[in-house]
Amino acid sequence: MISGISFPGASLYDLIVIGGGPAGATAALYGARAGLKTLVIDKGLTAGAAGKAGQIVNFPGLGPISGADLVRRIREQAASFGAEFITDKVLQVDLSADPRQVWGSQGVYQGRAIIIATGSMGRHRYLPGEEGLVGRGVSYCATCDAAFFRDQAVAVLGNNDEAIEEALTLTRFAARVHFLSPTSDLNASPELARELTANPKVALRLSTQTKEILGNGRVEGLRIVLPEGEEILPVAGVFIYLQGNVPVTDFLGGQLPLGEGGCLLVDENFQTAVPGVFAVGDVLCRHLKQAVVAAAEGAVAAIAADRYLHGRAQLRPDWSR
Amino acid sequence: MPLLNDEIRQEVSKILANLPGPVRLVMFTQQFECEYCAETRQLVEEVAELSDQITAEIYDFQADQAKAESLGIDKIPAIAVIGAQDYGVRFYGIPSGYEFASFLHAIQSVAAGKPELSEATLKFLDGLIKPVHIQVFVTPTCPYCPQAVMLAHQMAIASPMVRSDMVEAMEFPQLAIKYQVMGVPRTVINETVHIEGAAPESMVVAKLREALRG
Repeated sequence: MISGISFPGASLYDLIVIGGGPAGATAALYGARAGLKTLVIDKGLTAGAAGKAGQIVNFPGLGPISGADLVRRIREQAASFGAEFITDKVLQVDLSADPRQVWGSQGVYQGRAIIIATGSMGRHRYLPGEEGLVGRGVSYCATCDAAFFRDQAVAVLGNNDEAIEEALTLTRFAARVHFLSPTSDLNASPELARELTANPKVALRLSTQTKEILGNGRVEGLRIVLPEGEEILPVAGVFIYLQGNVPVTDFLGGQLPLGEGGCLLVDENFQTAVPGVFAVGDVLCRHLKQAVVAAAEGAVAAIAADRYLHGRAQLRPDWSR
Repeated sequence: MPLLNDEIRQEVSKILANLPGPVRLVMFTQQFECEYCAETRQLVEEVAELSDQITAEIYDFQADQAKAESLGIDKIPAIAVIGAQDYGVRFYGIPSGYEFASFLHAIQSVAAGKPELSEATLKFLDGLIKPVHIQVFVTPTCPYCPQAVMLAHQMAIASPMVRSDMVEAMEFPQLAIKYQVMGVPRTVINETVHIEGAAPESMVVAKLREALRG
């Protein structure tokens, strides 16, 4: 089958928000409300810190609410003003291009202004054996590489929507997909979780820690620890979607200066070193990890983005409205 | 049925408007035993229709063997993207999916004949005295791949010593096995040095140096 023809120019937006948590969704709300053609690219409702939070009790004006419900409500409000949401993973950006290019797993997007709201659940270190086997069976992109594992056994490490979607892609090629979740349940939407468990090619293992990737020149297996003990799982490929606690900035490829620990630096309007590119929420340095703070930053950045797009670079606070 | 719909044709026309020079898309095909030859030919012809500066030349790989050899073409479907001169820019397999962007970029780049590379890289490439062959293995569903392909093609445009191929791994499984491609992009330099993933320009230059030492 021929894959679709895709190229820069397919979809042009005034504002692209990368990440749809409280910061990103609020930025979209304000952007769309200001009349900007706004797109939010997000990995899934439960991909970020807020979406995973069990209960948020201190969001002003709301009683106790689950993080996923809070994010969903902000998104619905943003969508009611015309913001579009797409489930995709941003892999690469070109911030110097005009318009700016955003490459995702599903397609290419173009935006005149960008707000980065990717949070801080990135990984900060490799598993033993991982680094030396990248491209030798270790992959981070099932859509790219699944076809190389036709009729073989592979493993997916992770527990969120993204990991599940990638696992489902793999089931079209691989003979067996071992889905190894480090947690005792999946942090994913119920529909996706059901699709995963119903797939006959998938072997789901919960509470499973991967200790080492084994192989000499190519992946041969994993050393895993289950509640019942340690085991060697023979696989030819391992697709990794684990999360950690560092700012998610790898897709920027060094195009923005990073602070200590890989966080993003911004000015008082949340603009980065590149004009028209803003950052909000937990991806920032010295950030107070509170949903209300993230949401407020999203609002300020969206207003600043609107002013940038309309040639009013200087943000003037207007308290009269 | 056309491969490019009206919306895409319009966008591509805009991208290919004002090409600074002529571009020849020299394509090699055959009727049998080539899964994507027909579609690749159609894609080449449809793109050529969108600019007065682009011409499509279609050759039969068997009947026009001498022509293929003169361009160093050894497998099909193949497209040589040729500007004022033949810079050694090649696509093996259909440039569809994400690779369509690489294909358009190659057309723009050979038309201009001015590589988009840093001064340091250009200086290094100027000094090459040995030939360099860069093969970038891709799949059409790989969003990281065009960056690696475009960079390799820029290097071919910059130096007569460099030739650069996009190779669609699924269409050439024997090469995927030979070069142990289990993930893309995988760049193979002079058969010996490999790069996993889309590497920055400076790293590719370092790998070229390594290949030339070996």
